[in-house]
Amino acid sequence: MTYNMQNTLLYVENLSVAYGDKVIIKDVNLVEKDVVREGHITGQVIAVVGRSGRGKSTLFKALTGLVKPTSGKVLIADTQTGAENDAKEVQEGDIGFVDQKYTLFRNKTVYETMQFALRRKEMTTEEKHSQIMQYLKDWGLENEKDQYPCELSGGQRQRTAVIEQIFCSGHYMVLDEPFSGLDVGNIEDVKKAFDLITASHEFNTIIYSTHDIELAVELADSVYVIGYPTIEGERMDYGTIVKHFDMKEIGLAWKDYGLDHIEVVKQIKEVMLAS
Amino acid sequence: MKQLFTPFENVGKNTRLFIILGWVLLLVGFWFVSSMGERHLFPSPQQVWQGFVELYNEGLVVHIGSSLLLCFSAIGIAIIISLLFSYLSTVPIIKPLAKTLSKLRYLPLTGITFYLAILISDARTMQVWVLVVFMSTYLTTSLLSMLNAIPQEEFDHARSLGCSRWEVLWEVVVKGRIDYVIDVIRQNLAIVWMMLVTVESILVAAGGLGFLIKNSDKFMNHGRIIALQIVILAVGLFIDFALNYLRKAFFRYSKI
Repeated sequence: MTYNMQNTLLYVENLSVAYGDKVIIKDVNLVEKDVVREGHITGQVIAVVGRSGRGKSTLFKALTGLVKPTSGKVLIADTQTGAENDAKEVQEGDIGFVDQKYTLFRNKTVYETMQFALRRKEMTTEEKHSQIMQYLKDWGLENEKDQYPCELSGGQRQRTAVIEQIFCSGHYMVLDEPFSGLDVGNIEDVKKAFDLITASHEFNTIIYSTHDIELAVELADSVYVIGYPTIEGERMDYGTIVKHFDMKEIGLAWKDYGLDHIEVVKQIKEVMLAS
Repeated sequence: MKQLFTPFENVGKNTRLFIILGWVLLLVGFWFVSSMGERHLFPSPQQVWQGFVELYNEGLVVHIGSSLLLCFSAIGIAIIISLLFSYLSTVPIIKPLAKTLSKLRYLPLTGITFYLAILISDARTMQVWVLVVFMSTYLTTSLLSMLNAIPQEEFDHARSLGCSRWEVLWEVVVKGRIDYVIDVIRQNLAIVWMMLVTVESILVAAGGLGFLIKNSDKFMNHGRIIALQIVILAVGLFIDFALNYLRKAFFRYSKI
């Protein structure tokens, strides 16, 4: 499938995070560009996999500006200026973050949650209302409009959390283990959510972590393995990116899951076990 | 029958009612038996009823009103002080003050009343402030633990939506936990209610249930004392029930 790369959307350079003396991640480098396919609106889907305790959540918090890096930087495309390749350092709120528990405001209904997410948008109340209602309809949440988070199912919570972040943060969204604890139906819901997000804007970029390597390979066009690196024969005790699988380059992105994908899954598992 | 004596055994609604009824009958039976004869520890039910009628005729309702007014005035001031310190404990410079206020709950009543007596001359105001000082320490302790129990994810969620730190405090802690504040008041009410009766009996001002107990105690009128204890317990339980009902009625999402 032909594609080309344009503007840099995410640029991470020598990113390190330490809590006190404990280094969690170190020297993380990655670059993701806008993938353009003719006749398609193609957002970016980036998966981060790795064994437990390798720093995936910390990496995500640093990417979203929720944790200050000890060193290094995270740059994202500044789409407000209109100029090509303008970048800015990531701040809290620039990148949407949906955690594993799909945390929402416990005291706000689905509709109130959406209203809050749109609070800073320069739109009239009517425009906000119609945008909210359109999304609730598209994402199958119309009947849950006046429900509180504690009254929603796992799938409904997850969809609410995703829409809320879409409304608030623009083009980027980080999801920490969005498939964890979901049944087959809910997993399909998340996949549909990914499609809806990536099909709505070229710059839309989803970054997610998962322990399900098959799902990472099936959905992502870029897979990063985070693990403990081995330097000069010695295994370090901090996380970093130990391998990058560019699914576009391999020719497996945007394709139905098949035997070639299984081969990549095998390779990823080997890298994970060694790190 | 065996299931009634088996740990962790689930019983039906009817069985549960039967168990409660059994215990109530046992308690009433014990009361009757223990109050019979020449020498007895508890007054008989007739004496208690007689005591209750006397109290009613002497203005029991007015005294309950006086105690409730004192309770609500004190709780109103104490909750404002405690909320202020607890919410602001998220600001590093205020945190030590909030923690200190919480630790002051170990101070004895006598020491505090001594200094308050120097500052305040009016007995009613004194009653209010003795309660405020004590309740603030207990309420702050509960509110601080409520705050500590908020998962980090909730703060991160608000921050990911571009909330400033003050907005996070407002949305997650203040607005997001109003139902918890009501529950904190409800849980501390037992201490407040117990203290209130003690304070009223030590500092006599505008009557109240504590004043009635002290008077009855003076004349060794056991029937009245037990009648008053029952009234105090019933009023306390009613406030507890009312607060719980309010929390559930106004905050549908509250599943504490």
